[in-house]
Amino acid sequence: MTDTAPQAAAAGAFAAPLASIASAAGSAASAASAASATPETEVLVRDLTVCFRTDRGEELPAVAHADLTLQAGLITGLVGESGSGKSTLALTLLGAVPSPGRITSGSVQLTGIGDVTRLKGAALRQVRGGKVGYVFQASQNSLNPLKTVGKQLLDLGRAHDVEYLPGLVRRARELCELMGMDGKRVLDSYQHELSGGMRQRVGIVFALVLNARVLVLDEPTTALDMLSQAAVLKIIGQVHKEIGLTTLIVTHDMGVVSELADRLAVMYGGRIVEDGPAEQLLRRPSHPYTRALINATARVTGDISRARALPGRPPDLASIPRQGCVFRQRCAFVMDQCATEEPPLDAWGGDIDNAGGSGRRRACHATPEAVIGA
Amino acid sequence: MTTWRVLTRRPGRVIGLLILALFALMAVFGPYLYAGPLAVDPNAIYSAPSAQHWLGTDFAGSDVLQEIVIGARYVLETAALSALFAAVIGTLVGLVAGYHRGPTDSVLMRLTDFVLTIPGLPLLIVLSTIWSFGQPYEMAIALGVTGWGGVARAVRSQTLSLRERGFLEAARGLGLSSRHVIFRELLPNLAPFVAMNMLLAVIAFIGAEVALFFLGVVPFSSSNWGVMLNQAVFSGGAMDSPAALSYLLAPLLCILLITIGIVLFLDAVDELFNPRLRERS
Amino acid sequence: MRTLTRLLPKLAVGLVMIWAVATFTFFLVHALPGSPGDAAYENYILSGMSPEQAQAKVSSIYGFTSHDPLLVQYRGYLWRLLHGDLGQSISYSGVPVTHVLRAAAPWTIFPALAGLVIAFLVGTSFGAVAAVKRSSRWGGLLSMSGSFFAGIPVFVLALVLAFLFHTEWNLLPYGDTSDVTLTPGFNGPYVVSVVQHAILPVATYALLGYGAWLLTMKSSVISVLGDDFILAAELRGLRPRTRMRYVSRNAILPMFTVFALSIGYLLGGSVLVENVFDYPGLGNVLFQAIGARDYPLMSGAFLLITVAIVLANIVADLLYTVIDPRVRR
Repeated sequence: MTDTAPQAAAAGAFAAPLASIASAAGSAASAASAASATPETEVLVRDLTVCFRTDRGEELPAVAHADLTLQAGLITGLVGESGSGKSTLALTLLGAVPSPGRITSGSVQLTGIGDVTRLKGAALRQVRGGKVGYVFQASQNSLNPLKTVGKQLLDLGRAHDVEYLPGLVRRARELCELMGMDGKRVLDSYQHELSGGMRQRVGIVFALVLNARVLVLDEPTTALDMLSQAAVLKIIGQVHKEIGLTTLIVTHDMGVVSELADRLAVMYGGRIVEDGPAEQLLRRPSHPYTRALINATARVTGDISRARALPGRPPDLASIPRQGCVFRQRCAFVMDQCATEEPPLDAWGGDIDNAGGSGRRRACHATPEAVIGA
Repeated sequence: MTTWRVLTRRPGRVIGLLILALFALMAVFGPYLYAGPLAVDPNAIYSAPSAQHWLGTDFAGSDVLQEIVIGARYVLETAALSALFAAVIGTLVGLVAGYHRGPTDSVLMRLTDFVLTIPGLPLLIVLSTIWSFGQPYEMAIALGVTGWGGVARAVRSQTLSLRERGFLEAARGLGLSSRHVIFRELLPNLAPFVAMNMLLAVIAFIGAEVALFFLGVVPFSSSNWGVMLNQAVFSGGAMDSPAALSYLLAPLLCILLITIGIVLFLDAVDELFNPRLRERS
Repeated sequence: MRTLTRLLPKLAVGLVMIWAVATFTFFLVHALPGSPGDAAYENYILSGMSPEQAQAKVSSIYGFTSHDPLLVQYRGYLWRLLHGDLGQSISYSGVPVTHVLRAAAPWTIFPALAGLVIAFLVGTSFGAVAAVKRSSRWGGLLSMSGSFFAGIPVFVLALVLAFLFHTEWNLLPYGDTSDVTLTPGFNGPYVVSVVQHAILPVATYALLGYGAWLLTMKSSVISVLGDDFILAAELRGLRPRTRMRYVSRNAILPMFTVFALSIGYLLGGSVLVENVFDYPGLGNVLFQAIGARDYPLMSGAFLLITVAIVLANIVADLLYTVIDPRVRR
């Protein structure tokens, strides 16, 4: 691999003690926490709002004033229930918004590219697939059923003005082998000749074959069985490390990101409500929603009797509260202030035993101690 | 209430409904409006439209508007009856095939393919040599029996997609009988879809019956638009005399109007049953 | 190899269908009360022939006499059919039915095929546009035009075209295949005349098929546009042209069923088109045969039209197998 990132090499020594949850891809995570000492920003989302216009002409925000930083070489997990706006936010990294939505404010800065939301036409096409690789939620169906994988690879190469196509094919084969597949066979296959897990991996190959620096995975494991899930997660961790990517994993499943991610951002009702280093956030969630989400996932706590379902239903676009905190209707820590004032996403000193420089942020009126200590 | 909103969203849909209502009224009350036999006026052959004859007269001096209005009943009654027959046979075949699947499905679908493959009009023409089906109900049986293939195929695929949604399994899991599932669960869900196909069939059947009269292969049992066209083209010399314009065009325009009416109206029905179309418009 | 195993059942079904139609026309013509064979026989007796002479005459026309047992008649009919013998025409006194049909077939097949190709090209392109622009006014109008032409009866179209372009505007000739004063052959004026006479029938066929192509293509494109791999292609930065190619090739697949349906519709409609335009094709032969109670010719023409449709179905299926890898392998 020619692109191995320097950060990945600096693994090991500084690794913070991992929570019991971090397992297979633990080395990747530790590499990342080492790298986080000298963060280099790859993607910078600022004050991003994406609105959908209804039949009646109202503008409903699917993502509201989101701030998110992806640090180079790290895996960031973006977690939330369906309808939280996490996929919409991830798509804006490609300058794409599902219709009929549109970006009403904010910017998405990519290092070396600029604000991707202002790009159009050919320039935008070059970012998609070229700078940012995207692996789909329904990645099993992301291939044209009438063409072999190889021919679609060539289409991809031509679209991005690759001068030497045999080189592209060789790179694709290398990536296939890296993910445990027979490259030649895969390229000669039609989509229906590949299994679900293989298609998923082909999706990753397509996202990376043009040497993308940023990899976005939207629900990478949702449609797979448990064994394929584990395999795909392992591969994601490996590829991330070996190529030195900046990775964003969008998921509703805390279990998925708890094993892989260096940093986590939690979304609810179109807002980022908390973010920070993964193991800190998992061990000591400081936002009532994060806390509830972790408690609801038995796999994370490791004790099924302690799993707690979150009361109420996640809001959809129309039912998100217009005023105050979006989570207050389901919140155990709700107070008067929550109904009128939306809590800002503020930097917070961080953990009690690891004060300062942790880069944690939270949007809640309740004190962190109250939430963590409860 | 959604129905009403969808219907009135585009003015065309209301116009379509109005056209259909107009012709339905014509079919029901037309014969009472012009009681008695058709008046013949040898002094007014192919006269131009006037206050007395709104659509002019034909080769025998009869009033074209009167012929149109009187002829509407046969055309529409037959088309409606045929569509009903076709819908009943087609729905039954499609439902049973889609519900039972397996060998029953194969046999019924081969039969449907057969009915669909044999060209309808030539078949009817050939049939006319042994059976002169000029009466409305006879004509309707002939058309219905040869024309149910499309409905059957559509109903089958709809039934299969209803199965996919799994409520059939649920109904059977509750121990409900096949008959109950078919008539109480499936049929109500299919009804709007069948109605839509029936409207489409009406267009096709109007075309077919008028074509048979136009070709003159069935006996002229009553005055209708097909008979008018036959006489205009083959004995009235309408294709060569511009004076016969209104006589030739009147039945053609009526058929066109009904076609447009149904198409416009179906646009609304389509939007009601295809949410995918509704999403964006 | 897979192609073959997929195609064989289709061929078998097609053969069964042809056999069924042949059987149907046989019983229609020969076995019903007041059979035309009996009627002809009696006519010959009345006109003074001996019973043997009359029987021989009937036998030469129908291939059997009604004095044989039904099964023998039926076997004889099928046997002759297998050898391409459809009997002799009555109205063309003694000319083999196959000759009459062979002379007529080109006048149906070429205009209908030309109309089919035009309808396919225009209908599918407009259908794709109607799908992409489905929320705009133009898209709506295009779909409406599709439903309109799909619904409009054949003869209405033919008569309106003939009336407008011939009687009213006098732009195009009408009736017969060419100007009768010209000598047939490969000479300029004759060819021009044939083409001019063909314009209206071809236009009628084209407008007839147009609606089905447009509507099916529209719904097919809409469904493919909603597929994940199209979104994937966009987010991988593929060129709009490439994406359109992905869409069109996937959307064109269901079109093969329309091809088969369309052929049936056009050939069935040929009776009316050829009647209005006085074209000497198969449809007209069928119509004339019925007028003249020429049963061998009638069943021959009907059988040929059906066989053509069955063959079109098989060809459509073959094309489908070639283009779709999921079926091929």
